Amino acid sequence: MATFPSPTPSPLRQGLLAAWPVALGYFPVAVAFGMAGVGAGLAPWAVQLLSLLVFAGASQFAFLGLLAEGASPWLAAGVALLLNLRHAFYGPALRPYLAGHPLLAFFLTDEVFAVALKSLPGLPQAARTGFFLGLGLGAYLAWNLGTSLGAFGAAQLQELPGVGEGLSFALPALFLLLALPHLRNPVALGAGLLAFALHLLGQTAWGLVLAGVLGFLWRRP
Amino acid sequence: MIPILVLALGTFLLRYLPWRGERGPSPGQAGPALVVALFLVSAFAPPPSWLWAKTLAALCVVFLAWRLSRHLGLSVLLGMAAYALF
Repeated sequence: MATFPSPTPSPLRQGLLAAWPVALGYFPVAVAFGMAGVGAGLAPWAVQLLSLLVFAGASQFAFLGLLAEGASPWLAAGVALLLNLRHAFYGPALRPYLAGHPLLAFFLTDEVFAVALKSLPGLPQAARTGFFLGLGLGAYLAWNLGTSLGAFGAAQLQELPGVGEGLSFALPALFLLLALPHLRNPVALGAGLLAFALHLLGQTAWGLVLAGVLGFLWRRP
Repeated sequence: MIPILVLALGTFLLRYLPWRGERGPSPGQAGPALVVALFLVSAFAPPPSWLWAKTLAALCVVFLAWRLSRHLGLSVLLGMAAYALF
């Protein structure tokens, strides 16, 4: 008997498809990270290892930056971990929709969290794990492919006219669309503005941690 | 090598430990608060400069594209094109 393909994509594939705006944003940043890593004196394989094992853009850049300034690798790792404190709030925010699992937690970046928070409530319970896995894998592949290109030599990509500039706007554009439903939530808006104020003072990581703490403690009026 | 492994393990534990288990304290408004904060800090780099006007104009394009199409990827792509052109 002939079998026909399912008319709806599998949850994993749905997740992969949902990942492409994230991947679009990650790719140029990852290329830049790969180039910066080699520029900071790390071997290309070590730069790639950071992306393969850590998968957290801002803290990877901080790690590199501190190494380039001559800090010890242990101090650089400690500061990078402080930057990642905000990740501790993402799991509890997703728990109402999806139970935590070590494999899923590995993919829990800022952008994956934001897309998951928007998408998971509208999915059937049975499809959520596959969707999150696809979303995380898509983002992970883009981040590591970009790192690889940057570390092993593809600087010309960023130099094409307009391409690097346009790509640098992908993540703000994505975050705008993900934030839109929450802009009338006074707690979310207040916490976001407070984080922004700290960001303007150069304390972006602490601002994000504070926004998470405030959101965690406050209840919507 | 070892500091990289410690950073990777620490990052993983920060993501996994608060998420494990089926029950835990209510996250309150942590999710929405973090999403709004991530938007603001990713869009507007300090210090304020002419780039803010360019960013605002491109964000308007993203918003309009979203209102007209309701397509996440298309809206992001149009915003990127607008940002590169402005």
